[in-house]
Amino acid sequence: MTIARPLDIILAHGPELSAGGLDYYKLGLWAAGQPNSRILSLNPCLPPEELERRLRAFLHADHPHTVLVAALDPHHRARHILGLLIEVMQVNPELISVVDLQEALGSPDPEACSIKAHHLIGMNASMITRAQPITTQELPVTSRVLVWGDSFAALKAAVDLADLGYPVIQAYPGPALAPLLPGAAPAQPLGAELQDLITRVQSHPAIQLRPQTFLTEVQGSAGNFRVRLQTDQEVREEAVGAMLLAPELRLVPGEAAAGAASHPRILTLPQLEDLLAAPEAAALLTPEADSPLRVAFLGGDSHPLALARTLSSAREVLARDNVQVMLFIRDAKVGAPGMEAALEQAQNSGLIVFKLPQLPSLALPDDRPRLTFFDPVMHGEESLACDLVVLDEVYRPASDNAALADWLHLFPGPGGFLQVDNVRFLPVITNRRGVYVVGAGRGLMDLDQARAETDAAILEVQQLLGRGASIAPKGRSVVDRGLCVLCLTCYRVCPHGAITWDNRAVINELACQGCGVCASQCPNDAIQIRNFTDDQVVAALETLDPRLTPRIIAFMCKNSAWEAYHAAMKQDQVNLPLGFTPLRMPCAGKIDIDYILKAFTYGADGVLVLGCHQDNCRSQEGNLHAQWRVERAQEMLAEAGVDPRRLVFKSLAANTPQDFLAAVASLAAVLGGLKAA
Amino acid sequence: MMNNQKKFSAVILGGGIAGISAALELARLGHEVALVEKTPFFGGRAANFCCKATDACQKCGACLVDDRLKALFQERRITLLPRAELTGCSRDNGLFRLVVQQQPEVINPEGCVDCGLCYEECPAADKGAILITAVTQNHPRYAVNPGACLYFRDGSCQVCQQICPPTARAIDLARPARTLEMTAAALVVATGYRPSDPRCRPHYGYGRLPQVIAGYELEEMLRNGTGPSARGKEAPRRVGFIQCVGSRDQEHPYCSQVCCAYTLRLARLLKHRWPEAEVTSFYMDLQETGRQSGQFQAEARREINMVRALPGDLHATPDGRVRLRYLEEDTGQPVAADFDLLVLSVGIGPGADNPALAEMLQAALTPDGFFQAADPAQRTQTSQPGLFLAGTAEGPRDIAGCISQAAAAARQVSQYVKKS
Repeated sequence: MTIARPLDIILAHGPELSAGGLDYYKLGLWAAGQPNSRILSLNPCLPPEELERRLRAFLHADHPHTVLVAALDPHHRARHILGLLIEVMQVNPELISVVDLQEALGSPDPEACSIKAHHLIGMNASMITRAQPITTQELPVTSRVLVWGDSFAALKAAVDLADLGYPVIQAYPGPALAPLLPGAAPAQPLGAELQDLITRVQSHPAIQLRPQTFLTEVQGSAGNFRVRLQTDQEVREEAVGAMLLAPELRLVPGEAAAGAASHPRILTLPQLEDLLAAPEAAALLTPEADSPLRVAFLGGDSHPLALARTLSSAREVLARDNVQVMLFIRDAKVGAPGMEAALEQAQNSGLIVFKLPQLPSLALPDDRPRLTFFDPVMHGEESLACDLVVLDEVYRPASDNAALADWLHLFPGPGGFLQVDNVRFLPVITNRRGVYVVGAGRGLMDLDQARAETDAAILEVQQLLGRGASIAPKGRSVVDRGLCVLCLTCYRVCPHGAITWDNRAVINELACQGCGVCASQCPNDAIQIRNFTDDQVVAALETLDPRLTPRIIAFMCKNSAWEAYHAAMKQDQVNLPLGFTPLRMPCAGKIDIDYILKAFTYGADGVLVLGCHQDNCRSQEGNLHAQWRVERAQEMLAEAGVDPRRLVFKSLAANTPQDFLAAVASLAAVLGGLKAA
Repeated sequence: MMNNQKKFSAVILGGGIAGISAALELARLGHEVALVEKTPFFGGRAANFCCKATDACQKCGACLVDDRLKALFQERRITLLPRAELTGCSRDNGLFRLVVQQQPEVINPEGCVDCGLCYEECPAADKGAILITAVTQNHPRYAVNPGACLYFRDGSCQVCQQICPPTARAIDLARPARTLEMTAAALVVATGYRPSDPRCRPHYGYGRLPQVIAGYELEEMLRNGTGPSARGKEAPRRVGFIQCVGSRDQEHPYCSQVCCAYTLRLARLLKHRWPEAEVTSFYMDLQETGRQSGQFQAEARREINMVRALPGDLHATPDGRVRLRYLEEDTGQPVAADFDLLVLSVGIGPGADNPALAEMLQAALTPDGFFQAADPAQRTQTSQPGLFLAGTAEGPRDIAGCISQAAAAARQVSQYVKKS
C-alpha cells in the first residue's frame, strides 16, 4: 500500500478480535510499522469522556486529519468514536475511512486472518490518503415554484407553498380549475372544505394562475429551472426553483363501452349521474307497468375508486321504487378503505352482483338492451333483457404527460404517469432533483393519499429551496477543464439532468447525485467523483498481497451489494475466498470499464461487478451502464485471450446476502475450474 | 443512542417502516425525536420481508426498509429506545407527559460481537429467553428477554453472562430496567399491525399440517435462506397460495389490500427460482397489484395457474402432500389437487396492543380495531390535537403507502409543534 499523506489509524477494538482469530496485539504492531502513519488503539467500551480525552490527545488540533477507523462492525460498535471524530474533533467525514474487519475473522488459519486484515486496512489507507475533503457551498436558488396541473393535490400544493412564502405559478391546460374528486361523480357538488380550497387558490396573492397553458421547454436544473409556458396569446419564460407535477386525470369510457351502440337506453355513467341529479325529468328511470325497472351496470371494476363511483349511482337507483339493479364485473375491486363494506351494503340493499370472466355482450333486439353472458354460478349461458344499461368510465392520466416527461428529461412512468416505477423514488421524487410528482400525476389514488404525497413533496421543496439559498456539496463532482473537450457525452448520459456547459461541461452540484455515470463514461477521464476517484481505485488495485488468492476484485454498489456483503459477513460460518477484495462504489454506474480492465492487469483472477436489480437503481440507469460495460469488457478480454467468464455482472439487493454469497461462490468455482485446467 | 434527553418535539411509538420514516423526516427537519420500540430490534415486520426480484425488481419495497434502517442508526437527532413500552400518558397544557418502561440492556452494544454463544448455551432459548433477529442492521442481534429468562424469574441461571467471552464481557444480568419520564409536543402512533391468524380458517389445517404455512413465514424463509429448498430439502414441485385468509370475512370485514400483490410477487419469485415448479393461486377477486397492475397480472397469468375459487377443506395424503378440493370455474365440477406446499395469504389485522394503547392515549379505535383517523380524507390526524397516526396502525396499506403517510405525518407534526 502507498499511504500518500500522514494518516491517523484508530484500531477501535478491545481484545474481542482475538476471539475471532485475529491477534489484536500483532495487528497493532503491524499498523505501527506502517510508514507515514500514527496508531491509536482505543477500546470502544471505554466511557465517552475517556474516549474523548484520548482522541483529543491523539489528534492534535493544528492541522486537518485523515483518519482510518478499523474495528469489528464499526458503525455500531465504534459509533461513539465516529461521532466524536465528526462532531467534536471536526474531522471532515470525507477524510474518515471506516474499515470493517469482520471479513478478516473466522478463518481457521490465524495467519490468513492477519494478512486479510492488513490488506483491508492497507487498501483503505491507500484510498483515504488520496481523498479530498468535500465542503459545502451556498447556491442562490429561485424560491418560486411551478405547480403543474389543477388536481386537488396541485391545489393543496399551491396553497401550502404560498402560505410558506414561496411564490407559486399554477399552470394547467384547461380553461378553469377543474379538479376531480376520485371516486365521486364529477358533477357532484364538492364539500365545503374542498370548495374552500379552490377559493383560496383563486384568491391567494402569492399564487399566479395560468389557465390554458402548456409547458414547452425546460432548461436549467434544481434551484434554477427556466420553463417556457405557452398560451394562445403568448410565450413566457419563467424562472422557478422547483416543480410539482400533479396534472388532473381524465375520465374516458371503459371497456364495456367498446363497440356499444348509441341508444337512449344505453347510458354512460355521467349520463346516469346527470339523470339522477334531476330525476323528475327522468322518464327513463320510471318502471313500466308492474314489472321492475332493470338497470345493469357494466364494469366499474378497473379500480376501487371506479367501483366507488359506480356503487354511488347504484345506491341511488336502488333507493327508488320497484327497481332491480345488477352489477357485472370481473373482479370486485375492494382494496381500499370502506369498499368491502360498501359493496356488502349495496348487496344488502338488493344489488345483484355477477362476477364473470368477461363482461357480457350487449345487443339491442327489439330496441331493448339484452345482455348475454356465461353465468359461472348457474353454469350456463344466460340472456337478460334490461331497461337500462350503464357503461363505466375509467380514470386515465393526463394526455400530454409523455410530452411533459420528455421536456423535463424525466424517465416516463407506468401507464402514462409521470414518476418512473422504481421504489427508490418513493414517495414523490424523480430522477431530477427539484421535480416532484404527486397525486394525479403519479397515479389514481384517493384524496387522503394525494394529500399525503403533497405533504411529502412540500418537505422536499423546503429542503431544496430553504430561504432563497440552498446548501450543496462543493467539490464532489469535478470537471477538469483542462481535459474536457466539450464532447457533451456527460450531458447526454447524466440520468439526473445535472450537467450543462459553458465552454466546458459544468456540473450543477445541487442537482448532481454523485452516481458517477458521467465520470466513467467520459472518454477523456475529465470528471472525477469524490471520493471515488480514478487514482483512488488504482491505488486500491495496486495494494497487492500475492498470498491473497484467488484474487477476486468486487466492485460493489453501495446501495445494494455493499450492504448485502456486510449482511453476509454477519452470518455464521461465512468465509469468503482469501483474495476477495471489496471496493465500494457510489453506484454501479461509476464502475469505469478501465477499472475492470486494470483489475485484470494488476493481477485479478476474477472480477465481480455487483449492482442493483433492473428498475431498482437510484439513478435508474447506473446498473444498465455497468452491465453494458461488463459485456463490452468480456468481449475485449476474449480478444486478448483471457477467459471472459472471469468477469461477471450480477444484480442483487441490500437484503439478499445469499445472492451475494452465491455470486462469489459461483465465480470462485469458475476460477477453481480454470486453475485446475 | 442513550442520552439524558427528556424533552422531545415528538415521540414516535413503533420502530417499523412507518415509525422509522417519520423519525427520519422529523430529524431532517431539525427536530429532536424519540423512537420507542417494544421489541429489542428495529425494522418491524417489513424488515423480514424478502426481495422478490426475478429478472427485474418487482417493486415490493422490502429493500427500502433496509435503506431506512441504515439511515436510522446513523441519525444522531433520533433517540432510540428499544425494549421500551409506553406505560403512562397524560396531557398537561397540550404537552404529552409520557412514562416509558425500558427493559434492561443486558447485552451491551459496545462489547457485544454477535458471536451468539449466549443464545447457543441458554437453557431457555427455545422458550424465548434470548431473542434474536435476522435483521442484521441491528446490533446486538441478541437480547435477553426478562419475560422468559430464568435469571429474571428466580435468579437460577447466569449461563449467558458466564459464557460471554472474557474479551467481550458484554452481558450484565444485573443491569437495571429503567423508567423514563419524558415530555413531547406531539405523539405519533406507528405501532403497526398483527397478521391475521392463519388458524382463523381451521379447515386449512395451519398448525396441524406441516405443509401449510403463512405468507409471512414464506417471506422470512426466503429472506433468511431457509427457503423451501434449503439444506437438502427438495425444491417444492407444486405450490398453492390461498387468498383472503383473515380478510373479507366476518371477523375482518375489509380487504387487506396487500395480499394479492405479495402473493403474485412471491409466486413469480418461486417460478423464477424453480422454473419446474407449478404454482397455483386460489383467489376471490384480484386487486390492484402495483403501478402496472394490468401488465403485471397478464404476465403473472402466463406463469401461474390462477383459479377463481377458494378451496374447501384439505387433508394430508399418504405421500406427504396436501390434497384440496375446489370448484372449477369452467366446468362447475369439484376438482382435487395435490400440493407440496400451501401458503395461506394472511391479511393485516389490528395490532394486539391497540385496545390497551388506545385507552392509555384516550384515542379511538375503529370497529375493525385500528386507530381511528379523524377524517377519512386525511388519515394521519386523530381528533386529539397533537396525536398523529402513521402506517398500518391506522389500517391496511403497503410499504409505499406507509412511507408517504409517515412523511405526511412528519410534516403535520412539524407544523403542529411550531404552532404550540
